[in-house]
Amino acid sequence: MRKFGIVLKYELKEYFSSKGFMVLTFVIAFLGAALLFLPRFIDMSDFTGVQVVGEKEEPEEVTEEDMTKFAYIDLTENGVLQEELLQQMIPDVSWHKMNSLEELKQSVEEECDAGFAVTGPTEYDYYVFNKSMMDSNTAMFDEVMKQMYRLNYCAENGLDLAEITEMYNVPITVNEQIMNKDSGSNYWYCYVLVIIVFMLIVYYGQMIAVSVTNEKSNRAIEVLVTSTTPNSLLFGKVIAGAIGGLFQMGFILGAVLISYSVNREQWGGMLDMFLHVPAEVLLAFAFFGLGGYLFYAFLYGAMGALVSKTEDISKTVSGLMMVIMVVYFFSLMQLTNIDGTIIKVLSFLPVSSYSTMFARIAMGTVASWEIIVSFLILVASIFGAGVLGAKIYRMGTLRYGNPISLTKALKDLKKSE
Amino acid sequence: MKLEVKNIHKSFGEKEVLHGISFSVESGKALGLLGRNGAGKTTTIRILMDVFHANSGEILMDGKKFVPSKYQIGYLPEERGLYPKRTVNDQMVYLGNLRGLSIKEAKENTNKWLQRLEVAEYADRKLETLSKGNQQKVQLAATLVANPDIVILDEPFSGLDPVNSQILKDVVNELIAEGKLVIFSSHQMSYVEEFCDNIAIINQGEVVLDGRLKEIKREYGRNRLVLAAVNYNVEQLADKIDREFEGLITVSDRKKEFLVLELADGRSSKEVLERLAGSDIEVERFGSYEPSLNDIFVAKVGEEENHA
Repeated sequence: MRKFGIVLKYELKEYFSSKGFMVLTFVIAFLGAALLFLPRFIDMSDFTGVQVVGEKEEPEEVTEEDMTKFAYIDLTENGVLQEELLQQMIPDVSWHKMNSLEELKQSVEEECDAGFAVTGPTEYDYYVFNKSMMDSNTAMFDEVMKQMYRLNYCAENGLDLAEITEMYNVPITVNEQIMNKDSGSNYWYCYVLVIIVFMLIVYYGQMIAVSVTNEKSNRAIEVLVTSTTPNSLLFGKVIAGAIGGLFQMGFILGAVLISYSVNREQWGGMLDMFLHVPAEVLLAFAFFGLGGYLFYAFLYGAMGALVSKTEDISKTVSGLMMVIMVVYFFSLMQLTNIDGTIIKVLSFLPVSSYSTMFARIAMGTVASWEIIVSFLILVASIFGAGVLGAKIYRMGTLRYGNPISLTKALKDLKKSE
Repeated sequence: MKLEVKNIHKSFGEKEVLHGISFSVESGKALGLLGRNGAGKTTTIRILMDVFHANSGEILMDGKKFVPSKYQIGYLPEERGLYPKRTVNDQMVYLGNLRGLSIKEAKENTNKWLQRLEVAEYADRKLETLSKGNQQKVQLAATLVANPDIVILDEPFSGLDPVNSQILKDVVNELIAEGKLVIFSSHQMSYVEEFCDNIAIINQGEVVLDGRLKEIKREYGRNRLVLAAVNYNVEQLADKIDREFEGLITVSDRKKEFLVLELADGRSSKEVLERLAGSDIEVERFGSYEPSLNDIFVAKVGEEENHA
């Protein structure tokens, strides 16, 4: 235990004395926090819909030059277009009436952004010089044409358009009372948290594997295995990685969540779906995320011991990576079917409970016993992975040369026992 | 302290790599563990340090089962290895602490050994920034940082220039004088001859020769003489001996400066001297032959391999 503590301390020093690690942590946390404080200093009302306190909204003066220019011509016999209505329905546009189709075409080529030639009550030609990908002018003009048609139809048949419109768009009042969980609003932060824990496992798992392999490739392991036990070495490394990862992720996530909660009003609550995470979900995320991380970290450590060069790590971790990827995609896909059988099964398996159980806690219906059983399975599996990882580590650390496959390592372990 | 290794067998998978290794070593004396590459020296050392477990056999310390964790063992591996990106001081204190010293003791011992090996000025430098020779000295300092009772040095002189070799020689002599139990593995036989009272030659997983070095040399030199002449070169002298001394002596080996002769059964060096006096050979050198460890090693390992 004493030696484990010494290894842990030494490995932690490696993380916390690394300028890259600390700078990255603080820079990302600072940038995240700074971004969330922006609405206090910059008018982002266009984006957030909230006016910064103390700042009056002054209407921008738009000059004729800045306005979009549209040309139009009504080629129908009775005249379908009403110019007044056109200005009302599509304001902030400078409308130019043309006398002939040729004039309209020339205008589109030289000056106007687009042109509309109305050929019938429900038909028009659209002229544009270069059509952009996001061109929505026809959709806009369609609405104008429909409204003109309705007006003309009502006038011809003695109907009151205003009355019909009011009846058609009668407002409905909904008083929503959510009795348990709001999957709609919980979905996005669950999505984000699944991605975060996936990144944590892959990033730190890889770091642990590299650290183990480095000790083999620089032969420090030769001295280390004669100074302490392989268990102390592997457990020290993995727990140090967990603490390093928790610190980094906790610091960044903490900075972002606190900054958002301070500035939530300025954001008009628009990021609630990502950042307004209930405490119990964060707690479940911390326990299951950390558990899943430790489970995989031990296996990553063992995989690192099977190779002698860091460039060979990808060969041994590919199987493990495949499991993590499959779990990741299944978890994300099953978020829309949170009470389905697949996600229920996944939430009990140690390879996947780290993301699926906390998603169920956040969005689905889950009994307390299910959470406890799943967590106990995860804890037992962490110990299992730790013991197996340490055995593979002990066997692999002093075997140099070609990478050892996991199946061969397991066979050799079985033989030696 | 007396460490005895008795009949150690070790297999990796189906292949047995050690076929009954036995030797012993005492405090204040050094054992030279010799053998070609792949002979089984490192595996034996790792079994001694409980990194590998033997399939059979036993290791005793003063007649009782040897438990490595009860002793301070300083091991200098052939494959040098420390953390290249950490400072010298940092990793030496870490290793000292890991081997049971308090942080304070580890720091004190780190200073002591870095100074003794004349690398104290690099204490705060990253290991990778040091020259190969200085890295080697730091590695030795790391081996000795916890004041080990048992010191195992695997090729300690490789990569050292003559000045650094002398510093290391002095340190090894001090360790022996302090009563440490030293196991010394090297291909450089001159160093083994210099430090070791006992040797064990391992070949293909077996001890093919072991015992006190002086006795082994005497045994290998028995019935052998050296002869050099002023008026004949080595080749001419060998031809003359083959022609004129038949039945008395035979040429066993031709060195650059002299011949090694082997007495025929029942004949003595006195008879050879008398025959030489009666010949036209002007004797430059005549006496008993004391073989070098290198000669013994080559002869013994070569002989074993011929038998195989």
